[in-house]
Amino acid sequence: MKIFIVIPLFNEEKHIVKVLKEVSAYKMPIVVVDDGSTDSSGRKIIDCRSKIVTLLQHKINLGKGAAMKTGAVYAFTHGADAVIFMDSDAQHNPEDLTKFTRKLEGEKYDVIFGSRNLNLGVPLVRYLGNKFASVLVSSFFRIYISDTLCGFRGVTRKAYEKIKWESTGYGVETEMVIRTGKAKLRFCEVPVETIYHSGVKGVTPLDAFGILAQVVKWRLTI
Amino acid sequence: MIIGLQIVAILFSLSMVYFAALNYKRREINGTEIAGWMVIWIGTIIVVVFPELLRTFARTFLFARVFDMMVVGAFLLVILMAASSYMRTKRLEKKLEDLVRKLSLKKK
Repeated sequence: MKIFIVIPLFNEEKHIVKVLKEVSAYKMPIVVVDDGSTDSSGRKIIDCRSKIVTLLQHKINLGKGAAMKTGAVYAFTHGADAVIFMDSDAQHNPEDLTKFTRKLEGEKYDVIFGSRNLNLGVPLVRYLGNKFASVLVSSFFRIYISDTLCGFRGVTRKAYEKIKWESTGYGVETEMVIRTGKAKLRFCEVPVETIYHSGVKGVTPLDAFGILAQVVKWRLTI
Repeated sequence: MIIGLQIVAILFSLSMVYFAALNYKRREINGTEIAGWMVIWIGTIIVVVFPELLRTFARTFLFARVFDMMVVGAFLLVILMAASSYMRTKRLEKKLEDLVRKLSLKKK
């Protein structure tokens, strides 16, 4: 099974080189989608680019969901059977990649969701927001994922065709969960390690309210 | 007799006529659009100055006052315009997303 790693990137000059070095060790093709970064992230990738790393660049910032979609489109049109999405901020441990490949290749799951241990080191607001999202999605769509917002996840080509998301921003992870449930795909969760960095990055409370509104919209439209 | 509220409404309508003309001069809207906006704002001024013109309509739709009917009408118009604007923005966003993706994939 040919598995590509897709890494959406936006202004992560501090971490992206480290992430690429660590992920490269797994010898899987890597697609980095620079979503209109305004720092030196893109240049840093070009400097350390190897044969297995492909850099795609969005001229303007569209959002995480759009970057993930671009990466998936590239991977699947270049022979991928599955893709694993990873964040570019070094929050995910590349050692967890083997858990995804095992589930994709060995146990033939369609979608694999990474789940952070929300009892360890997760800020309280994120913990509560995440749990609320899980319960809300579960009650609306009858699919329970303990960590709906984790960006570490794997999708097969077949599953991608069924869950192609519309979200361009941070709503993408939740939409993927909802569409997986709707399409009745075979899914599982794998525990992943997460290292939280300081600073205002990722889903903000404002984004969370936006996602909440989108969940209600998807309840009516999906 | 023209009351304060009518004066405010007339001044507002006149300023909107000015902005419509300005946009037309800058070629941001075309002839049909300027004509449409002129009809709307001049029509508004006429109705504001001669509210009795709409009294029959107000009675037909069971509004106590012409003013109430105009407020409800304005709300409906705003909701309609917001919905239409939302749909247009969505369509533009989708086109922009597709274009940016196409450009990023084209280089490979």
